[in-house]
Amino acid sequence: MKKKYCMVIDSSVCIDCKACMVSCKVQHNVPRGRWRNWIKHTEPDFSMGKHTFVHFQPGGCMQCDEPSCVYACPSGATFKDEETGIVHVNEDLCIGCGNCITACPYGARYRHPVKRVPDKCDFCSDRLSRGLLPACVDTCPTKARTFGDMNDPDSDVSRLLRDRETVRVVSKPVDTKPNMFYLAETMPADWPGSVEYPAAHQAMTGFVNPLVKIAVGISGLGVAAMFLKQLFTGDETSGNDKEEV
Amino acid sequence: MKDKMPPLSRRKFLKTSLAAAAISTGAGSPLVKSLVPRAHASGGRPQAPISSHFTVCDMCFNRCGMIARVQNGVITKIDPNPGFLKSRGMLCARGNAATKHIYDPDRLKYPLRRTGKRGEGKWERISWDEALDYTAEKLLEIGEKYTRCGVMFIPGSDMQSQFVNRFAEVFGSFNITSHETLCLLSKNRAYLDTLGEVPYPDVYYSKYIIIAGANPFEAIITPDTMDFFEARKNGCKIIVLDPRFTKTAALADEWYQIKPGTDMAFFLALCHVIVKEELFEAEGCCPIRTYGFDEFFLHIQKYTPEWAEKECGIPAEDIIRIAREITAAAPAAMVYPGRRTSDYEDSTQIRRAMAITNALLNNFDKPGGLLAIREVGVKTPYYDVPWYDDNPFDRVEAGMVPGLIDHEGSFQLMRDAIISGEPYPIKGWFNFKTNFMQTAANRNKTLEMIDHLEFIVNIDIAMTDTAWYSDVVLPGASFLERKDPVSALQGSSACACAVMRDPVVPEMFESRSPFWICQQLAKRMGLGDSFDFTLDEYRKQQVDGLDGALEAMKMMGVYYNPSRTYDIYAGSPLKTLTGVKEIYNQRYARAGVDPMPVYKRPKQPSENEFRLVVGRTAFFTHSNTNNELLTEFMEENTLNMHPEPAARMGLKDGDLVEVKSRAGQGRLRLELTQGIEKQTVYMATGFGALSPGMSLVHNKGASISEVLEDYYDEISGNMAMHETLVTVRKVA
Repeated sequence: MKKKYCMVIDSSVCIDCKACMVSCKVQHNVPRGRWRNWIKHTEPDFSMGKHTFVHFQPGGCMQCDEPSCVYACPSGATFKDEETGIVHVNEDLCIGCGNCITACPYGARYRHPVKRVPDKCDFCSDRLSRGLLPACVDTCPTKARTFGDMNDPDSDVSRLLRDRETVRVVSKPVDTKPNMFYLAETMPADWPGSVEYPAAHQAMTGFVNPLVKIAVGISGLGVAAMFLKQLFTGDETSGNDKEEV
Repeated sequence: MKDKMPPLSRRKFLKTSLAAAAISTGAGSPLVKSLVPRAHASGGRPQAPISSHFTVCDMCFNRCGMIARVQNGVITKIDPNPGFLKSRGMLCARGNAATKHIYDPDRLKYPLRRTGKRGEGKWERISWDEALDYTAEKLLEIGEKYTRCGVMFIPGSDMQSQFVNRFAEVFGSFNITSHETLCLLSKNRAYLDTLGEVPYPDVYYSKYIIIAGANPFEAIITPDTMDFFEARKNGCKIIVLDPRFTKTAALADEWYQIKPGTDMAFFLALCHVIVKEELFEAEGCCPIRTYGFDEFFLHIQKYTPEWAEKECGIPAEDIIRIAREITAAAPAAMVYPGRRTSDYEDSTQIRRAMAITNALLNNFDKPGGLLAIREVGVKTPYYDVPWYDDNPFDRVEAGMVPGLIDHEGSFQLMRDAIISGEPYPIKGWFNFKTNFMQTAANRNKTLEMIDHLEFIVNIDIAMTDTAWYSDVVLPGASFLERKDPVSALQGSSACACAVMRDPVVPEMFESRSPFWICQQLAKRMGLGDSFDFTLDEYRKQQVDGLDGALEAMKMMGVYYNPSRTYDIYAGSPLKTLTGVKEIYNQRYARAGVDPMPVYKRPKQPSENEFRLVVGRTAFFTHSNTNNELLTEFMEENTLNMHPEPAARMGLKDGDLVEVKSRAGQGRLRLELTQGIEKQTVYMATGFGALSPGMSLVHNKGASISEVLEDYYDEISGNMAMHETLVTVRKVA
């Protein structure tokens, strides 16, 4: 059965301890200065006296159902996995145009300074395949983050979505249908930016995009041919070759 | 460790790109999809197998259970042990950053001996044999010249500290002191002298908690930090008193910006209301089950809420309301005891006022209150301590304060004694994993003490400021490389448990464990019998009588003792002198100390002065701050100040300022926030290192130790870090 992974966050228990951010950084070797996830916060209003508060809000890629990043990608490198609902980047297909980065209204993507391709949260797909929770969820001290499959009615996230009122932080004016839910209420909610498609996007989606995809498919054919060739020619040269980036 | 990914070969690259292309259904290209057989598609990128290893964290003192993931012999990730009740199955930012603790470019790699002047940074590499021979020779020489007590031992707060302790004792020195004398001794003293032991707060089941002098949402303590939120889901109310708007304050139900140093006024007034309105439980508590309730009744008369309001700034009606609310919730209510209480010269008395409030709440040994020590059952193997005829009678700082805690002493008083040479000389220092140069108030005085020492040996994993001023520096193994003895832990009502560590990866470079070092030194000094055992033998002795403990630790990373949690005393007398909770302390009276807490107004900063308070964040631990994954959140510390005085002084956010006390001065950037009392400034610990070997915090921000003046708690000798008044000026 198809899965639809999502995250339900109780931001009222977040203490801004940064555990999720470090855990993610270590798991994915995220370079210094870049993040796959975050904790946002409100500014305290000290005129409230003893009731002055700050609300902390953990986040990350929302694995949207209508992902503007996927729509903005000209090469098909960014795609939403139909089996899991996770939005992935296929680095090998990426042409490094950066459209997906500006198209994401949540700032969930950054350009990897070495690989020059976008990097983002993928709900730790590799950990999921090993039966582990995403790194941020696993490590969270107050268990603010709950992760699971919305299509499984017995999962913790389904139970929370059923029993508790939830809200989403959504960009305006485009609702990308995020799959990150916050219990009852969360702040700040006004931080998402706008969805910025490149000027030629209309043309890309209407006409060029399918062509590029076919082109990529044909190049994939070439790759496959090369692969087959390599299979037969043996590997006396492999192992010494440096990666060419 | 820059890049753990092996370089891809061209062939591998092609293979993986093809496979990745194949699984990328979103690529939407039927051509690619149909060309590649399904078997290839499921392959993904080839990965070396990952093995998992239970261990216990050591990035702070909490000892949270963790699972280290190892790939190609390298620890690539550390996850929490989900079955570890004490930490509620979590791992904080520091625990996650342990990968950079072991793979730290600043790690010491081999033994070093100083060749230049102390602090000059000139070292020679020596072999372990040479290092151990030299150290043994120097220690014996000092023992010969000045008695065995002429060496100060700082064993650290580590799972192997017990071996350093044992080494100190068989060597023959009484002068063993600890990091704790900069931390929580005054709290321990206060609860020992009120309840007869140091209790654990049962936060999880509590309904009403007052947090004062503590910041548990940033200074994470397990399981308390997590339990506050579970308690709150069940209706617990949290009141925070703090001059700073900490994250604990930010998430509290009510936050009162109390004037620093006036907590006692609040608690005495709280007691006043509880006593006057007879809100305590007469049957189970006062005056039957306490000592000195009648004296307290008289003592408390003058401490009215109206009086307290003038002292601490918290409105009288709030004090009265809180007294009524907390007693209504009692006994599942508490004044949170906190942890680091090294703040004021009367810090024991401040905590006594809190402990007495807890006594009035009748919450000891009850759910939601303060828990008695539970049985874990881990034993300390016996060893003979030799007798040295020429040794003095007692530790060097004995009798300097009335409430010195055995086996802990007071580093600060010992430092004074070393400088004065009275009552007897101390000329050596054996240090393990403690960095007093960075943590102890008045660094200049620590440097002065060092000038009086003939030999300093230091075991640590990096060149800390303290190591930088040592004579021999021995590279310690990190906790992920070590085999450690069994440690007993109590996690409040969550568990009473035992943990141990086996090496996750082998020792790197020439690093060695303190156990091995002590064993080798003992052998060279004719004390070999005291260390003639293996760690397996030692562990067996430790868990003798605990069936299945070793197996449980191996299989699950922890052994739980299902011992009794509540009502442990079951009517039998407490461990106090009178057998009941002591509101009035007779020993204090005999020692000339106030038997009940008497409020003294803290000294006030003049118009141009500020009180300096210190603390930390959830991602730093003092000198463990030198970690690439953690400094990313804050590359240097700042001085927090209220915008009002800053405007008066013409200071702007981001200005480089000099903070000056009578002990010294430091330079750091100013950060303005309304979340701090107007005559208070704050800075975080862990920065401004002198040693270039702490490359990420060397000359970054300022060190608390260079600015804080040295005051101590007059009962326990605990350091008092919030008594320093400073001036702040802009650096041109």
